[in-house]
Amino acid sequence: MKEVMLDCLGEACPIPIVKSQNKMKELAVGDLLIVQIDHSCAMKNVPDWARGEGYNVEVEEVGDGEWEVIIEKTK
Amino acid sequence: MSSFNDSMKKISSNPVYVKWFKDAWPYITGAVLLSLFQIVTLTTTGNPWGMTGPLATWGAWVYELFGGSVDKWYFFASDNMQTTLKNGFFADGGSVRNLGIVLGAFIATLFASQFKIKKIKSMKQVIAAVLGGLLMGYGSRIAYGCNIGALYSGIASLSVSGWVFGIFLFAGAVVGSKLLVKFFM
Repeated sequence: MKEVMLDCLGEACPIPIVKSQNKMKELAVGDLLIVQIDHSCAMKNVPDWARGEGYNVEVEEVGDGEWEVIIEKTK
Repeated sequence: MSSFNDSMKKISSNPVYVKWFKDAWPYITGAVLLSLFQIVTLTTTGNPWGMTGPLATWGAWVYELFGGSVDKWYFFASDNMQTTLKNGFFADGGSVRNLGIVLGAFIATLFASQFKIKKIKSMKQVIAAVLGGLLMGYGSRIAYGCNIGALYSGIASLSVSGWVFGIFLFAGAVVGSKLLVKFFM
C-alpha cells in the first residue's frame, strides 16, 4: 500500500478532477491518493466523483482555502 | 453551560457556523434562491438578470479612460447604451449588481475563512486563462448574453433562444474540455 500525492494547487476545474481520474488508474487497490487542492468547487466535485466510484473519501482542510482529498482505492 | 462556552470559544466547530458559513450550501438551496432573486430582478428592474452586458460597458469605460471612443461601435451605438455609458457606474444597476456579486462572494469566502491568493502555476496556465477569457467574452457578446443572460434568463422567460443557447453551450463545453485536456494538462 502506498500513498501518492497529487499537487493540484492553483489549478481550476476541471483539471483537478481529470488529473485525479488519470492518476487513480495508475494506482493499485488499497493505495491512497492524496489530492491537494485550493479551488473550492474541486473540493466538491473530486469527492463527489470518488464517492460515486465507491472509494473511501476524506476531506481535510489543511489551511485557509486549502484542502487535501484523501481517496482510498477500494476496488 | 460549559459546553456552550467551549463551542462559542471555538467558532470553527460551532454547528450553526459550520452549516451557514463554512460548508457549501446544497445545490437545491442555491437553485431556489437564484430563482427567487431573478424574479425580484425582473419585476423590480424590468430586465432579466444578466452578467456580461455590464462587463462590456466596463470595457468601454476603461477604453474611454485611455482616450478611446466607442460611439461609433455598433454595440454601443444605441441611445440606451449611450445613456448608460454617460451616466456612469453607479447609475447602472447591472454594474452595481456585478460589483455586489464579487463583494458578496469575497465576504462569504472570508466568513468561511477560505480566502487564498493562488499561485500562478505555469505560463501555460496563463495562456489558457487569457485565451479562455477572450473566447468567453467574445462569445457572450456575439450571442448577446452569457450563461446567465442568454441561458438562464432566456429559459426563465420561456424563450426558445435559451434552449438553443444551452445546446450549443453544452457542445462548446465538450469541445473546450477536450482541447483543455489535450493542450493544457
